[in-house]
Amino acid sequence: MLAVLGGFVAGLLRAWYNGRVFAIPDLRTVWLVFVAFIPQWIVFYLPLTRRLASDEVAAAALLVSQTLLLIFAWFNRQLFAFWVLGLGLLLNLCVISLNGGLMPISPETLSKMGIDLAAHALQVGERFGGSKDVLLPPAQTRFVWLSDRFLLPGWFPYSVAFSLGDILIAVGAFWLLWASGGSKISQASLSH
Amino acid sequence: MKSQLFNISIKTGRINQQQVRAILALGTLILFVLGAGAPADHGH
Repeated sequence: MLAVLGGFVAGLLRAWYNGRVFAIPDLRTVWLVFVAFIPQWIVFYLPLTRRLASDEVAAAALLVSQTLLLIFAWFNRQLFAFWVLGLGLLLNLCVISLNGGLMPISPETLSKMGIDLAAHALQVGERFGGSKDVLLPPAQTRFVWLSDRFLLPGWFPYSVAFSLGDILIAVGAFWLLWASGGSKISQASLSH
Repeated sequence: MKSQLFNISIKTGRINQQQVRAILALGTLILFVLGAGAPADHGH
């Protein structure tokens, strides 16, 4: 979300500097994103239902939702940014589907985030709170290098772990918004 | 005078249309990023 905010501000400033209108290119099958997000909204974001969803339901909702989002990215592949966004999503979907339907995170990473595992009474293979993550040691994780294993610097006021796929998604979102405020030439380079 | 008002209304309509399209595209991108990403934060 920081990438979206940063890209939006950067794109607006760029548009203002170039004397142009900030214009995000037309996206195809926008409705698909809204449909795809509904299962995740119910299982991960809506406080009423978040705690009620079992790990199996959460995993199924995530897999279905991300598959639909991948189809949306494919429909919009005429925009270069969606190749980056789609690749990031594909990497996340790969590691999620190979590890039972949720994003693996190691006990070490959670400890580095300042989370007391004992206090949360977390067991291996259990979903971390109401999140998309499942607690798995690296030895039990398939494609561990695609899991949530990167952390923001210690001076950052917010503690968050993210994956290689998340990095690509952030880059793709920033790129799309930055290019939306660019010159005629760079706006033409949005598509390829 | 009449044509000036007509031109202004056309221009305003275009700006509103651009704004609506930008907001819709931005909302779509936010939902895509939220749905495609899987970071773990301390809030959970």
